[in-house]
Amino acid sequence: MRNMTILVVDDDPVIRRMLEKRLEKEGYEVLIAEDGYQARKILPQQHIDVVLTDLMMPGSIGGIEVLDIAKKISQNIEVILITAHSSVDTAVEAMKKGAADYLEKPINFDELFLRLEKIANVQSIMRNALDLSQAMDTTESAAALTIQNLEIRTAELQSRIESIEAILRDEQNPAYDRIYKVLDLLSQKNDLLI
Amino acid sequence: MLKISPDELKLVAQYIHDISGIFLDQSKSYLFETRLGSIATEHGCNTYKELYQKAKTEPSKIIERKIIDAISTNETLFFRDKGPFELLQHKLLPELIDARTPASPALKTNLKIWSAASSTGQELYSIAIIIKEMLPNISKYTIKLLGTDISDGAVAQASRGKYNKFEMERGLPGDKLQRYFTMFGDSWTIKDEIRAMVQFRKLNLMLPFVGLGKFDIIFCRNVAIYFTLPDRQKLFNKIADSLADDGYLIIGSTESLTGICPRFIPKRHLRSIFYQKK
Repeated sequence: MRNMTILVVDDDPVIRRMLEKRLEKEGYEVLIAEDGYQARKILPQQHIDVVLTDLMMPGSIGGIEVLDIAKKISQNIEVILITAHSSVDTAVEAMKKGAADYLEKPINFDELFLRLEKIANVQSIMRNALDLSQAMDTTESAAALTIQNLEIRTAELQSRIESIEAILRDEQNPAYDRIYKVLDLLSQKNDLLI
Repeated sequence: MLKISPDELKLVAQYIHDISGIFLDQSKSYLFETRLGSIATEHGCNTYKELYQKAKTEPSKIIERKIIDAISTNETLFFRDKGPFELLQHKLLPELIDARTPASPALKTNLKIWSAASSTGQELYSIAIIIKEMLPNISKYTIKLLGTDISDGAVAQASRGKYNKFEMERGLPGDKLQRYFTMFGDSWTIKDEIRAMVQFRKLNLMLPFVGLGKFDIIFCRNVAIYFTLPDRQKLFNKIADSLADDGYLIIGSTESLTGICPRFIPKRHLRSIFYQKK
């Protein structure tokens, strides 16, 4: 459950180090980006489950932009924003854009770990659902093939029975001829009985 | 979770059949409990019998609608099972367009397609996307794409055309996703150019089809599996009445019409089967 990869994006070296240490201690794989620009480089190159990003960073790529970049790469990447109390409104806006959650500074690690646990749970349920639906697809296509063959074959046999009945009932022809015609029909389409 | 008694099972199963045609296996009591338990609690019912009585007598039919929403399965995907859509694109639509194009170029070609259990709309939107891509001169056609479902909730969601990432997860190729949907946060909304092509409304397949007219293609996939054999026979008989003489019917890939409707004959195209009237 704990083998999630987390990308930490923060321009403050102290916070970065602290997050890295605590997360690694909890058993997460941790990648580090010093700002939004580095995050933009790392995101498409690595498999990342969760991005933990500061909301306010220098330059034109802040937390919201990191969120946009991550979600464009994969909807399955969850993003948690770290924000000062004063920017809670922005963080709520970010949640509307698909952020999983936000944390206020100073970071409460118990809270962070709980959120990560929750994300891991959801991702494992998602994987499970995907496995199940793939298993269902496999079963379904195998069943479909069998049923379709039966369906076509049944229809062909049905139409053959109808022709045989028509021949046998045709009293214009002598009985002997009718029997030969029927036998001929049966031998022509013998492959159907296999 | 509120437990259901054997007597209640019988009562509720009969009620659900009456309002929706859906036949639920009474040996699977968990099906009833997981789907109806929260509705019972929400409406202050201590037993399923109470819920049944309330649903039956309540004039606004709110509880009845909630029960239908909860019972009808909404598992559906964009381009669920590629077969029918390839069939549509490579065989049925080209044949139909040949057959329906009027001699005079001034006249429009009419096409009517019905998704008879449209659920949350993915099937009909997938059909609309195929048509949009196939017909560059779409203004020369009068295309009616109708989706119907028994669940108000499903019809409402289909009309909104908004899906969360779980509903988008599989089936839709990336290029179609980018081209026909707008992403906002965790949700995807179908673009107006596609939404404008389709129409959704509520319909109970067990009741007479009033004012639908005849369709060129009917999709009725994976819905009859929830009906009893006599109900299936009635349904496909009505569908035969609603299908143009040279029209096409597509049912679910694991469904069969053998012993259900002798008016249809199955035909094979590559790995798919479709039905036409005899």
